[in-house]
Amino acid sequence: MNWENILEFARGPFFQVALLVFVAGMAYRLVRVLALGWKPDRVKAKGSRVGGVAVSFLKGIIIWPFVPWVKNTFSRNPVIYLAGGLFHLGLFVVIFLGTAHMLVWKSLLGIGWFTLPLPIVDWLAAGAIVAMIALFINRLVNPVLKLLTGPAEWLNWLIVFLPMVTGYIMTHHLWLEYDTLFALHMLAVDVLLIWIPMSRISHFMFYFFAKAIHGSDFGKRAVTP
Amino acid sequence: MPDETIGQHLKRQGISRRDFVKMCGVLVGAMGLRYAPPLDESGLPAHLENVRGFTSAAFIADTLASKPRVPVIWLEFQDCAGCSEALTRSQDPTLVDLVLNTITIEYHETLSAAAGFQAEQAKQDAMKKYAGKYVLVVEGSIPTDNDGVYCTIGGRTAVDLLKEAAAGAAAIIATGNCASFGGIPKAKPNPTGAKGVWELITDKPVVNIPGCPAIPEATTGTIANFIVFGALPQLDSLHRPLTFYGHTIHDRCLRRAFYEAGKFAESFDDEGAKQGWCLYKLGCKGPTTYNSCATIKWDQGLSFPIQSGHPCLGCSEPNFWDGGGFYQGQSAPLDRPTITAVGAAAAAGAVIGVGVAAANRMQKTSAKVEKGG
Repeated sequence: MNWENILEFARGPFFQVALLVFVAGMAYRLVRVLALGWKPDRVKAKGSRVGGVAVSFLKGIIIWPFVPWVKNTFSRNPVIYLAGGLFHLGLFVVIFLGTAHMLVWKSLLGIGWFTLPLPIVDWLAAGAIVAMIALFINRLVNPVLKLLTGPAEWLNWLIVFLPMVTGYIMTHHLWLEYDTLFALHMLAVDVLLIWIPMSRISHFMFYFFAKAIHGSDFGKRAVTP
Repeated sequence: MPDETIGQHLKRQGISRRDFVKMCGVLVGAMGLRYAPPLDESGLPAHLENVRGFTSAAFIADTLASKPRVPVIWLEFQDCAGCSEALTRSQDPTLVDLVLNTITIEYHETLSAAAGFQAEQAKQDAMKKYAGKYVLVVEGSIPTDNDGVYCTIGGRTAVDLLKEAAAGAAAIIATGNCASFGGIPKAKPNPTGAKGVWELITDKPVVNIPGCPAIPEATTGTIANFIVFGALPQLDSLHRPLTFYGHTIHDRCLRRAFYEAGKFAESFDDEGAKQGWCLYKLGCKGPTTYNSCATIKWDQGLSFPIQSGHPCLGCSEPNFWDGGGFYQGQSAPLDRPTITAVGAAAAAGAVIGVGVAAANRMQKTSAKVEKGG
């Protein structure tokens, strides 16, 4: 078994299986959360649910990059807040606006879109990797986080870090053969896809879900979230 | 007449010393010889040590002129003769011509006038006469399944013929992707069990000159390196000469700036294509393909596929035929699950979720009942 066979496996059957596990896993998680049920809410509506949801999302979008200081999480540890932000920004840009990744979406969804020039994507990817290292060190040294961090957290970090770092090295043709790096990158991505539904990385979906539910409840009570 | 020196032969051909030195200058450039390679790496004979660092076409000329012409045995197996075509039809009046004048092709199925038993006999004679001195060039892949019956010449299998010829060869050059990595015959489902030369001949160095076809200058440059230095050039991990396969097409591509700027042709007839923008989104394999198409180019440096508006197919890489569609982005997965499969997965996940939730609820209710009772 050489790297080419591994690459073929990681881009072909393993990727398909990983994708299906991901879809099944996320459907399972969503159903489990929905099945927890709501208590009957007999309060008379004072405001619009839709308006509440809109405000909730807008605040999420505007506060993070533009007015972070209104949040406790920022004022208590700005470095970590910014590292987290930089990581997420880099991740989104790389996954959705990097040409190579857009072609993956295109092959899966059938539609493509605008992408950013390589240097911009590249710098943001580098920023995201540096941010992840900062967050790693923070987990090691912060006394409270140390107590809260278990194997699952370290594993989360590693499984997200590997695709990013292999992708970066691959783009720059460093150290190893391109085929080898491509194979490693795809293997890491496949593992990540399988791991997401089983871990807290599923917040990529539940974040929007929770924002919507909370926004809707606040909106109904006419209290700004 | 391999007994006369290359110098004598060229003289007989009416090539003047002046023209010869000029040709050698071109050859030096094509071989990428800015200087003689380091002794230990090149296998340069010790008596030539004092020429290290001495760069000159004259050195090459002197060395070439004093050497006998090199006998070449050219075997064709599962091939299309395209590499031979590319080499012989090359219009380059100096380089390829020069190298072809420095060798004598003792056996070549497509080119030889003789056929049948006579040709085979001539090959046997040449292998005996020049044992340990001839260069073996192989074109085409070698079938190995079912005892190699899928390609036989004169009743003998390709594996058999290759091993026989390789035994007495001074150097082995696999030209084209088929001879190097199996090429098209090796594409799925590889019905003949096709293999490249270096998978079968492991006791001797094999130089791979992959491509579809191989760039003639890469083949002749490698032969010239062998003639001048008596050794093979530096190779990469896939046994390709670094001079010709040291950089990716992408690294030397004339459309590279558009890649960096994010300007891509989206189809073959859009504005981007007309403007000569990057072909990455149309499936170009340039970023992973090591070859010198972008620098040496084809037809006397006239153009190469990307310059002419077509993405690189990656023909100098192993398994290029099975590495995803030619017009599919290189990063795209090889297959995608069907909508049905995705729907089924989502449904399965949801059903299991409902089941587990229901089971939990029942457990909760029964616990309550027990507690209450």
